[in-house]
Amino acid sequence: MTRTDSPRLVVYAGLAAIGLIAGLAVGRVELVALAAPFALAAAVGASLARDPQLRGTLVLDRERALEGEDVRATVEVSGGESASRVDVLLPLPDELSERDRRNPAGVRASAGQVELALRCDRWGAFRIGPALVRVRDALAFHTWEATLGAGLPLRVYPSVETMRSLLEPLETQVYVGNQVSRTRGDGIEFADIREWHPGDRLRRVNWRASARRGELWVNEQHPERNTDIVLFLDTFTDARLGTRGTLDLTVRAAASLAHRYLQRKDRVGVVSYGGFVSWLLPASGTRQLYRIVDSLLQMGIVLSFATKNLDVLPRRTLPPRALVLALTPLLDSRSTAALLDLRARGFDLVVVEVSPVPFVKPFGDDLSALSYRLWSLSREAQRAQFEWAGIPIVSWTDGEALDAVLEEVRAFRRYARPVRA
Amino acid sequence: MTVAALSAAAYGSVLAWSCLLSTRVLPLTLFLGGGGALLLGLVLSRGHDELLGSALLVLAAAYVLGLLVGHHSLDEAAPLVGAGLLLCAELATWSLELRFRVSLEPALRLQRVRAVGLLVFSGLAAASLVLVVAATSLGGGLAWAMLGSAAAVGAIALAAFVRR
Repeated sequence: MTRTDSPRLVVYAGLAAIGLIAGLAVGRVELVALAAPFALAAAVGASLARDPQLRGTLVLDRERALEGEDVRATVEVSGGESASRVDVLLPLPDELSERDRRNPAGVRASAGQVELALRCDRWGAFRIGPALVRVRDALAFHTWEATLGAGLPLRVYPSVETMRSLLEPLETQVYVGNQVSRTRGDGIEFADIREWHPGDRLRRVNWRASARRGELWVNEQHPERNTDIVLFLDTFTDARLGTRGTLDLTVRAAASLAHRYLQRKDRVGVVSYGGFVSWLLPASGTRQLYRIVDSLLQMGIVLSFATKNLDVLPRRTLPPRALVLALTPLLDSRSTAALLDLRARGFDLVVVEVSPVPFVKPFGDDLSALSYRLWSLSREAQRAQFEWAGIPIVSWTDGEALDAVLEEVRAFRRYARPVRA
Repeated sequence: MTVAALSAAAYGSVLAWSCLLSTRVLPLTLFLGGGGALLLGLVLSRGHDELLGSALLVLAAAYVLGLLVGHHSLDEAAPLVGAGLLLCAELATWSLELRFRVSLEPALRLQRVRAVGLLVFSGLAAASLVLVVAATSLGGGLAWAMLGSAAAVGAIALAAFVRR
């Protein structure tokens, strides 16, 4: 605890001394009377210099929250009997704000606690606290400053978009899932009928067709299989305007997609491809959802000029026949090259362009307008490059429903068939 | 803003009384008081709290000047002047504290008003007591002088201790 004395205490004692000496020197009692209030104030000030022995804790009502939700932080202070006022400041990261404008808050030392409603404006993993506390005596002659509580973890998860339908991969995997496969086998969904072969079970015989044709015919079904989804996130760079940016949109979209795909028992993996490359191998279940969201919270832009290619990724990160859903602002040629490489390797690839256009405001001058046009044209050229390679690419802007954007891809892929070289 | 205005009002009251004490040195009193007012203005408007002591000292000097030159009998308003100076300093300090945007409980303002009021009234009572003691003939001039000297030394020691 650090104590600071008000400079006016010295001023009061000094004025009192000057008044008393001057009174003695000139023999006027008025000067002593003039000095008396200051002498008294200095004496009172000196008597108030007792350490308040402050103790306290910082508590958050929960450790996890969703973007836009409120978290209640409580700073409890005790032991400050000799103090009069306690000021509490809880340093907050830019992504959190105090809703009631009560930070910093000044309360009576006897009040015991300060409650702050923290609004989670943006996703991320944060450490809240310790709280900075300033204690004063009744006349603010002395101030004590200390930190209270340890830093508490708070994870703010990105809000999830409502999505009615998802993109279906062109091919399914071999494990049981909710996705109707294009292949034929054991399942529920009717596919076709064929002639009976030895080994076919009796319950598969289509008696109506058999009676009409005079020989045994059996039903065939589409089996229900799971799919592998790889969310490929371009984290080379971020276009940002104020508190919003392309990385925020990317993370929100990735969280929404992972949530929905995992709900229907698919395996979902994540590749963060940027200055810092990280990955999560495809897996299914609630645990994988938490793993993905936690990895998304750690995601950030790491500037790097190193040339990277897909060889840095382990082979199991990109399983065969997986749908690779790339979320990219198309601001770095390295990610474009990597995506084209993925397509060349035969992956079922869909590119969602997280548009940086709303976050880029050109200046008013002609040169700026011209460079903005050139930049827009180069982006169009990049998109055309993807289309020529047969990769569906859609642009997603801030405020637009992701569902609507994916519907465009769905329409594009309605008659698509995998092509093997 | 209100607290700063009240502080300036307390300063103005003391200055007005100092001017009334003697008209012979009125320009010098006004000069000193004006200088002090300027310093107080810097304290209140710019937050230069280090100038507060100088502002009080200059105003006290203006009062003492008027007292020594023009007022040969006992000035019974001296305790009020002392209390007024203390009030001015306390309010100026409080107004500086209020410049920081801290969400305060209403009870805290009332608590501060009570504390400042109690301090100023206690100071007024102490100063009045000094005048009352001086007016009664208790005798023992040397003893009183020694007591006054000890008080002065004590005040200096306190200032030095706090500054350390």
